[in-house]
Amino acid sequence: MAGEIRGVRWLLLSLALQNLGRRKARSLLLIASVAIGSAVVFTGATLMQSIDRSLSVGFTRLGADMMVVPEGALTNITAALLVVEPTELVLDADALAKANLASVGRFAAQKIVRVEHSGIGSHHDSVDLIGFDPARDFTIQPWLAQRVNRGLQPGDVILGAERDAPLGSQLLIFGKPHTVFGRLGRTGVGTHERGVFMSFVTLEALAGVIHGQMSAPPAVLAPGKVSGFLVELAPGATALQARFAILSALKGAKVVAGDTTMSGIRQGLAALFDGILALMALMFASTALMVSVLFSAIVTERRGELGLLKAIGARRGQVIGMMVTEAVLATGIGGLLGVVLGVLMMRLFERSLVFYLEKLGVPFIWVDTPRTIAFAGGAIVLASVIGALGVLYPAWRASRRDAYDLVRSEG
Amino acid sequence: MLSCRRLRKNYVTERGAVTAVAGIDLDVEPGRFAAIIGRSGSGKSSLMAMIGGLSRPSDGTITVEGTDIWRLSDNALAAFRNGRIGFVFQFASLLPTLRLIDNVALPALFGKRQAAAALYAKASALLGRMGLRDYLDAYPSEVSAGEQRRAVIARALINDPALVLADEPTGDLDEQTEIEIMDELLGVNRETGTTLIVVTHNLSLAEQAQQIVHIANGAVVP
Repeated sequence: MAGEIRGVRWLLLSLALQNLGRRKARSLLLIASVAIGSAVVFTGATLMQSIDRSLSVGFTRLGADMMVVPEGALTNITAALLVVEPTELVLDADALAKANLASVGRFAAQKIVRVEHSGIGSHHDSVDLIGFDPARDFTIQPWLAQRVNRGLQPGDVILGAERDAPLGSQLLIFGKPHTVFGRLGRTGVGTHERGVFMSFVTLEALAGVIHGQMSAPPAVLAPGKVSGFLVELAPGATALQARFAILSALKGAKVVAGDTTMSGIRQGLAALFDGILALMALMFASTALMVSVLFSAIVTERRGELGLLKAIGARRGQVIGMMVTEAVLATGIGGLLGVVLGVLMMRLFERSLVFYLEKLGVPFIWVDTPRTIAFAGGAIVLASVIGALGVLYPAWRASRRDAYDLVRSEG
Repeated sequence: MLSCRRLRKNYVTERGAVTAVAGIDLDVEPGRFAAIIGRSGSGKSSLMAMIGGLSRPSDGTITVEGTDIWRLSDNALAAFRNGRIGFVFQFASLLPTLRLIDNVALPALFGKRQAAAALYAKASALLGRMGLRDYLDAYPSEVSAGEQRRAVIARALINDPALVLADEPTGDLDEQTEIEIMDELLGVNRETGTTLIVVTHNLSLAEQAQQIVHIANGAVVP
């Protein structure tokens, strides 16, 4: 239709869009640089959150940093450090609590008894009955792959991954009924894949029948005695510090460290995340500066047009608004493309590193969809804000100048 | 209608301060056609820019319809310029990415005094009056320099200004087009009573004016 009616906002938006289209190469380079920045921010935020989440779950599942057992006890160290080994030797259950060591973060005691003829498995199967304090435990329950929908109660047992019984079903141990509360995921510790885990209360309730099967009562079933402790280092503490502290405080104990690499990684990653955050902030600032420099040039180039708009009645706010719209359009599109690029980068990451980690049994848990969408939206908004901030000063300066100066300076 | 007192304009250049307008007093009665003549660099365009609210004077006052325009705030001056003053530059001054009708309607859209449909109807009528009815949807690059200048005049008239300022509006046009453009401007002055001030080198055009202001070295020559 001839003379189609358009509003002033539409016309200013149209001017902004057409100005972007007029310098295609420059606009594309601007969009590309903002897209790369946004992709880094979006991917970085999503991956950092995912890694953080995976680590917090993964480290808990991997268990303790070290174990404290009676001197002379045989130990079987695995990366998982799920349980201490069965032994006749014992420690006082309150030994670590009394020592109150600064280098020790969390600790959990375990009682382990290896029994035969328990009624679990075939007749001569030896079974490890492992008792723990559900309130302090941080190395067994995180491995629960399946569980009934309630808390652990006296009389409940948790089965190792190789034992198969329906959840909630009855399991007779030395003729006493127990309820199958849950089943662990694979730990990689052979003897314990077939172990039966229960609370101290449940295990101590079996003391009488276990005693009847053995020539001597197991010392560990006595109240106040444990087979050992699983220990997690305090934040910032080293394994060496903890080891010396424990050995000097607990007589007749030995400290067995697992793979210290993991605790090193855990502490190192916290520092690394701070560094990545700082880098992202610097990148944000440098992109804003770059956009500002670019738009200073664009404003200078378009003084004539801005002067003309002022001359025919555009207010300062409208002139600034048009320039901000133009910048926000360019950087917003950059942000949107950055999110698309980020999604592709994460797909690549998922098919390579995540696949490899999961093959190694290291879980990688992506952040949930709403949070990912929030990060994507945040990256786009951030890109738009960079554009708006970048153009604000040059546009404000131009809008302050006399219309005639703007028109004349273009020549 | 227009009153200028002790009007001065200094520019700061790399070679020091330059005085473009050196204390001009000027009065133009409502509805008059005034011509400003003078050599290049005499300060005519600087004077027009100050009168038009486009360039702040270094000193002095300008009163248009009783309003001291340079005492207004930025936004108030923008609104005054938009509603009461039409400006025709000495160069093609259309926004190249907008259609002719958008260019003409834009000042009225800034003013927001009427609905967009009414403003577009008015823009269409003005372009029709300037002989551009067939070019409403054309872009500036699709019409001749003379047609562009006619569109600029239509734009200057869209808000029914009290004062139209034309700074050498035909300087880059051929003689025939110049006559046609000036006929349009003079027609507006006669028919609507709009005050018209034209900067020109064309003495025969200046002779048609009711008031001639001769400027030399930034001052009015008596």
